[in-house]
Amino acid sequence: MEKYYEKELLEELHDIQETYGFISEEDILRISEKRDIPKAHLYGVISFYSMFHLKPTGKYIIKVCDSVSCSLNHSADIVKVIKEHLGIGENETTRDKKFSLEVVECLGHCDEGPVMIINDTYYTHLTTNKVVQILDNLD
Amino acid sequence: MEKIFLKSDLGKSFEDYEFSGLKNSLKMEQTQVIDKIKDSVLKGRGGAGFPAGIKWETAYHVEDDIKFVVCNADEGEPGTFKDRFLMENLPYKVIEGIVICGYAIGSKYGYIYIRGEYTQAIKIIRKTIQKMYERNILGNNILGTDFSFDIKLVRGAGAYVCGDETSLINSIEGERGMSRIKPPLPVFEGLYGKPTVVNNVETLSAAAEIMKYDYNPYLQLGTEKSKGTKLVSISGDVYKPGVYEVEFGKMTVKEIVNELAGGVKGSGLGFVIPGGISTEVLTENEWDVPYTYEDLFKIGTNIGSGGMIVVSKDRNYLEIIKNVSDFFRDETCGTCFPCREGNKNINKMVSEIYERGYPMKKEIEIISDIKNAVSLAARCGFGEASVNLILSILENFYAKKVK
Repeated sequence: MEKYYEKELLEELHDIQETYGFISEEDILRISEKRDIPKAHLYGVISFYSMFHLKPTGKYIIKVCDSVSCSLNHSADIVKVIKEHLGIGENETTRDKKFSLEVVECLGHCDEGPVMIINDTYYTHLTTNKVVQILDNLD
Repeated sequence: MEKIFLKSDLGKSFEDYEFSGLKNSLKMEQTQVIDKIKDSVLKGRGGAGFPAGIKWETAYHVEDDIKFVVCNADEGEPGTFKDRFLMENLPYKVIEGIVICGYAIGSKYGYIYIRGEYTQAIKIIRKTIQKMYERNILGNNILGTDFSFDIKLVRGAGAYVCGDETSLINSIEGERGMSRIKPPLPVFEGLYGKPTVVNNVETLSAAAEIMKYDYNPYLQLGTEKSKGTKLVSISGDVYKPGVYEVEFGKMTVKEIVNELAGGVKGSGLGFVIPGGISTEVLTENEWDVPYTYEDLFKIGTNIGSGGMIVVSKDRNYLEIIKNVSDFFRDETCGTCFPCREGNKNINKMVSEIYERGYPMKKEIEIISDIKNAVSLAARCGFGEASVNLILSILENFYAKKVK
């Protein structure tokens, strides 16, 4: 089964996203030629998935959950404090390119909310004080 | 009381895990495995509740050299975290279930599609797959038999709708995660056009657990129509949120909340969302209902994913409606016009209702009409269920009070 042994497009895109923080024009051109998929089609796929970015993001991508359970646990306060502390809004990146902020759907830690994930690491039972500390401690 | 069945191997290390479910299966004919799962009446635990055995049997009978098993680990339903629990704590059982299904239907290729946000589960499953290859529980001639099976992990990338099986298949193929028109069902034409069984993490784990026994344990668990146990993930206004295992028919929703989850915080129960934000709420008059598919269905709601969210009466329900409506507006894949535009229009109305502090009777009627249109016209479960919760809150708590 040929296709089974190929790397899935999503996996390839994830690897690029993880390494470079975004998927560049050159990447898209390269994949397009390699896989014989029109560039426009690739843009369509990439833009469908919220974890893929077409523009550079910060070194740390902060994702705060605001689905029902976290919202009951006051996730809005967490988002507010991050915005104030970093001086950015949703889907924005700090000028020093250190942090990007996203407000996302359920992260599956509903019993430990409010919750955020920064790159690969989960932070649970957040408080407004704790969040500021976590951000300040990142290099 | 919590019934420990699926959780019974919790704490066991990979080295100590015997894979007896798989070993037993490999000693049986494929049809015997299918019959055992069919007899157990194990239903799909992702939310739709379709009998797993029938899916397997159908895929078995489709003649094709290439078939696929896909484990749906794209758990994204707000309030649901039992699949994450299984992948992080019983990863070998999850994979074992995939291999058993592969053996039963005559497939050599499996996928596990895990949502990209589950970074910890991804690491654990990746490592488990590797170790299983080393122990010859995956790969060629598994445990010295003629059966060979490979598994690949694919990460989702932040699209809730990919939990729908046809959207998930498109996503593995490298497309936008949009649903397909059914028929053909994936068991006939699924991944790369080949017969494909898509099962939820909990379903496959339960199948592995069932196969562990010489007899059929599910026949002694639950009720006639709801066999076995269900993992319920409870969050919201309770003292002890977490993942609990419940035997069908042995506890009411009220008992689950009070006895397992430590009771409702605040000044009393507002409502319970029984199975994720695609299911209708249970009010205080209704929550004394036995936890079974049939009993919840009778009062107009659903087991769903088992993602139970408890909301106290101190909360602003309109804020919750707004939150849920924002979710469905943002997450619809946009293929079916009624789902895309319907959820957008409902969101406009819900936002106004939230600002105003109460709904008008006319608005509830319109939302109810849109709900009917969306659920009839949408081609996947997302659309069908997208307005259930919103309308049930409006009808239960506001319809009689407003003009």
